[in-house]
Amino acid sequence: MTDNTSGGWPRPIDATLHGVTDYSVGATLMTVLPNLLGISDTPAGTQLRVAGAVHAGYAMMTDYPLGVVKAIPYKVHLALDALGALALAATPFVTGQYRKGVSQWAPHVGLCLFELGSLLLTDPTGRGDYKADVEAVREGNMEDPHRKIHDGQLAVRPATA
Amino acid sequence: MRANVWSGRNTVQVENVPDPKILNDRDAIVKITSTAICGSDLHLYDGYIPTMEKGDILGHEFMGEIVEVGRGVSNVRVGDRVVVPFPIACGNCWACRHELYSVCENSNPNAGLAEKMFGHPTAGIFGYSHLTGGYAGGQAEYARVPYADVGPLKIEDDLPDEQVLFLSDILPTGFMGADFCEIRGGESIAVFGAGPVGQFAIASAVMLGAGQVIAVDQFDYRLEMARNRAGATDTINFNEDADVVEQLKVLTGGRGPDAVIDAVGLEAADPHGVLHAVERVKQATRSETDRGGSLRDAILACRPGGIVSIIGVYGGLMDKVPMGALMNKGLSIKTGQCHVQRYMKPLYDHILKGDIDPSFVITHQLELGQAPDGYETFKHKQDECVKVVLKP
Repeated sequence: MTDNTSGGWPRPIDATLHGVTDYSVGATLMTVLPNLLGISDTPAGTQLRVAGAVHAGYAMMTDYPLGVVKAIPYKVHLALDALGALALAATPFVTGQYRKGVSQWAPHVGLCLFELGSLLLTDPTGRGDYKADVEAVREGNMEDPHRKIHDGQLAVRPATA
Repeated sequence: MRANVWSGRNTVQVENVPDPKILNDRDAIVKITSTAICGSDLHLYDGYIPTMEKGDILGHEFMGEIVEVGRGVSNVRVGDRVVVPFPIACGNCWACRHELYSVCENSNPNAGLAEKMFGHPTAGIFGYSHLTGGYAGGQAEYARVPYADVGPLKIEDDLPDEQVLFLSDILPTGFMGADFCEIRGGESIAVFGAGPVGQFAIASAVMLGAGQVIAVDQFDYRLEMARNRAGATDTINFNEDADVVEQLKVLTGGRGPDAVIDAVGLEAADPHGVLHAVERVKQATRSETDRGGSLRDAILACRPGGIVSIIGVYGGLMDKVPMGALMNKGLSIKTGQCHVQRYMKPLYDHILKGDIDPSFVITHQLELGQAPDGYETFKHKQDECVKVVLKP
């Protein structure tokens, strides 16, 4: 977690924690959530499953610690999260299924709010991973790490020697 | 003076703060010449040790020159060069008289806090939260050293700082981890974690006569240091094969190591990805304080009747400890914050005799002003970072 405060409020979710959320939410949407909400056999249930699959899919392709292919930049991933959340919330109203009852639109809106809330708490720099001035460290370092690790002699005398 | 202070989770900064003063007859003021970032400082940095306050000066590994002493200090004088042990110990209480310095009964002014957390108070520690006394730390230009008539070790020769600085903590800690293993000659010892303390645990096991020392880590460069410099005979990278327990059995003829040293502590990476993710979420949401990936495998890998030596720092509560394996295999657990004062002099003698050159772990030496970058570089293992020393 980081304590980045860009935007004026704490953003404690770093890229790794965001990834954990992506996969756990994606898996929940694809599996148990439609059944728990009793909308498993309705278009709303299908929409949640698709949303979960798409979410987990581009998570796997994101350039962050839990990504597999690392093709999508982290900030693009966050933009997709926001657009996807809004699209999910809009779907019941575009299709007209909202007229069939609360269960056909409330999950979509709830998930959208959860996603947007989580984005507000996410550090968009993804620098939960590393935020030092790399060049300054290299210039200021009075040691040579490579030599110390790879070229040095044994630094201890074994008891049997 | 300038000092590196904690400013919130994942944030430290170098600020101007008031100079320390003698508050007690047994105090001394040390002008610091070398200080280091410890792996356990990262637990503070990451926000997992409670009772830190903004502005707290960090650092418990330091050495320097005595510039002022209280009236009750006669063993060191102004101008002496000293290494300061990280546990603050009075030297008079029951614990100190039994050489159990890290559980000194008098040095923690916030004993009540520690007692609530641990059942008993523990010793004060420099720069390590208000749970351990709220003492200002040594990542600074000067530090006040309480009980200076008990702790500091006078360095009376011209060995460079880099060779003696680690007598303050990580060399005695690693050595104590190996000492706990009751090495008589020829034993197989596994060391989980090839960070600075792990490196010294490996080197100490070698120095004490272990026949086989197996280093376990997830970073190749640290395992290479363990082999090249510390004397590990075998290495296991659990990123390549997560089944550490099975690999240790294979390397030890099917029985398991005679003793396993856990030099990792509460931010362990579990080799099994799903378990790691679950524990990371639980720790991030504060539903457990300590991740147990290392300790669990240590208990499961150790041979029946063996010893599990825990020197990695744990702070609170851990889920899923394999008590069944621990009990039914008849394992002994030995653990504790290091009683540094007990080990400093004998280890100093080892350094003088050339048995060990502790400076091998230093991969980064930076000016104190670069402490924030040093923390980040150490935390994220950038540029093959193993140990960061800061120069005030």
